[in-house]
Amino acid sequence: MVQSKVDENVRQREHTDSVGNALWSVFRRSDTSVVLATLILFVLFSFSNSSFLTPFNLFNVSRTAALYVFVALGQAMVIVIGGMNLSLGAIGGLTVVVAGWCMDTMGWSPWIGVPVAMLAGTLCGMFNGFIIIKSRLNSFIVTLASLFIFTGLVQGISQGFPYSNIPKEFTMLGRDDLFGVPYLFFFAVIVLIVLGYVFKFRVVGRRILATGGNLEAARLSGIRTDNIVFLSHTLSGVFAATAGLLWVSRMGSAQPSTGTDWLIISFAVAIIGGTALNGGEFSALGILASAIMLTLIKNGLIMLNVNVYFEQTFLGVIVLLAVSVESIRMSLDSRTRRTQTDTP
Amino acid sequence: MKKQQVKLFSMVMVVTLALTLVLAACAAPVAAPAAEEAAATEAAPAEAAAEQPAAAGDFKPVWYAPAPHPYFEDVRKGVEAYVAETGIAVEMQIGPDWTQDSQNQRMEALTANGFNAFSVYPADASGANGLYEELTAAGSHIINFGTSTAQPTTASFAVATDVKVAAMRATEELIKAMGEKGNIINVLEVLEDPNTALRKQGIEEVVAQYPDVTIIQEVAGMTSVETAVQKVGDALSANIDKVDGIIATGYTPSVAIAQVLGEYKSKDGARTIHAVGIDTDEIVMQAIKDGVMDGTIVQNPYGHGYLSLLLLQYLSEGYMPKADVYFVDAGFAYVNQDNLESYSEDILAVTEQIKSELLDKYLEK
Repeated sequence: MVQSKVDENVRQREHTDSVGNALWSVFRRSDTSVVLATLILFVLFSFSNSSFLTPFNLFNVSRTAALYVFVALGQAMVIVIGGMNLSLGAIGGLTVVVAGWCMDTMGWSPWIGVPVAMLAGTLCGMFNGFIIIKSRLNSFIVTLASLFIFTGLVQGISQGFPYSNIPKEFTMLGRDDLFGVPYLFFFAVIVLIVLGYVFKFRVVGRRILATGGNLEAARLSGIRTDNIVFLSHTLSGVFAATAGLLWVSRMGSAQPSTGTDWLIISFAVAIIGGTALNGGEFSALGILASAIMLTLIKNGLIMLNVNVYFEQTFLGVIVLLAVSVESIRMSLDSRTRRTQTDTP
Repeated sequence: MKKQQVKLFSMVMVVTLALTLVLAACAAPVAAPAAEEAAATEAAPAEAAAEQPAAAGDFKPVWYAPAPHPYFEDVRKGVEAYVAETGIAVEMQIGPDWTQDSQNQRMEALTANGFNAFSVYPADASGANGLYEELTAAGSHIINFGTSTAQPTTASFAVATDVKVAAMRATEELIKAMGEKGNIINVLEVLEDPNTALRKQGIEEVVAQYPDVTIIQEVAGMTSVETAVQKVGDALSANIDKVDGIIATGYTPSVAIAQVLGEYKSKDGARTIHAVGIDTDEIVMQAIKDGVMDGTIVQNPYGHGYLSLLLLQYLSEGYMPKADVYFVDAGFAYVNQDNLESYSEDILAVTEQIKSELLDKYLEK
């Protein structure tokens, strides 16, 4: 009798411990804070404006967030190896212009225009990667130079003119939905799941993280780090091109100004989403949450009808408050670790 | 670097350069035929100008736009018409970006090259004045087109749209379409532009005259069409149950309104929302044709180009601006479904009218 009671107590404690451990491991994840902050903002904005939860608004928010995901992935692919891509927006812009040129000026079908534009974006990424590994120059310098090259091409090809005659069928992905959820959002989630899997369970993903964590150690352990750097920049080009094409699909026109304001968004979403600025860490969930968070903040500011002249200030303050959740998490985490270490 | 790598590196560089050249060569922008035609017409007068020292003499004009933009292509048509009519060669330059720094460097280089008359779109309304002071001190004449620099300025004239009057007209038209009652979203473009404040003021003055009309929301900060689409979409979502009209007084938000409203209506959006924008982007014109937007304010970019060059020519011939005359209102027209096909003739007529008045109204010897 006594023994069974003891057993039950032990089982209960084990169960509590396992639930606690699970919660603890969730809490220790670097992307928990951004998910939490996003949820808090969602609840706050839901209560502050009745229009926030309308299907029209949720559709718009999720679609913009999906586009932010692709822009951020373009940057995250190189941040994760400790680099950066300043030419991300210009690659996106060039892709858009090439797509517009193919589909509008040349009158080609999207089945030709899209692969050609994707190829252009991919080649831009490969160009960056190749120059970086062969010249041994910092990615900042190389992508700064290529930013000018690609921007010049955007302006030279388009001369500032938008391409308006984009085939209607190409706008389906950017404009239509399934049960009120934009196709774009589904697409972003699927891509993030695949990337999450690759970074966690595939050799190539682990090698990318290892290269970003410590390039020299990765090289000494047999990883061909040059190939990894080249791959990351190529992927950056691929995602920039994807983002550009999705913008064309969403707009129904190819605007040469596409990508001019991607730089801040790409860094903000990727870094707030848990991609370590000095490399070695990537969180697919964090990027999704971070993209939604930034979109929610921008959407919420308009919902709250804030003074347009102070909008940037409010944006900065809310972002700061949202990311401070991470600071609180880290502080709690380190305090708990200390307590655990001190306990004999 | 190993020999093989160097070879590979060189090969990629060559391929990249070739790709660049191919892309540049393949580029056939929408305005290309017009530009080529103009280049052809420009070449002949340039030669003629060399043989006509009396007309062109010391007059070496430059038309300068800070960066590629559809508006500048329309302005360039006016410049090209001036070249074709007068036979005076004009150096046409489009800079690489919207910074004043680039503009300073390139215009200083042109001055060093002997050019002495500038029709300029200032990259920075107050920053450009420093450059202008130096150039006018060196004997050049400068005229702003499209917008003005901050006062006081050494530019002789600004040939542009009276943005406040244009914004007031757009608001009047929107309110008329709304039946003189309802709620408006005011979509401003870039807050750093001093013209934005004037446009805002114009809109608010008109709305104040209608007791049953209210501005329920203002949105601003549209640096690109992407941002504008997002913000206009958000503003529409926030007010979907009460908005009756949207007004935009900038190119970017006008395109965004056409996009967002087009999408809203294609998804069976139940509410009737009127909209008036500015400029003649294809998307905006199509939206008017489809009944998605009510109308747009069409500026006179042709006149901005043509008249600014003509004024420079007069200045080089010894004419002086009349006292207290600085702003040359190049006019505008309101375009809706009724005059969608014929508005360009109205705009040309405005230019001809101003051209005939230049010597009497704005200049003296």
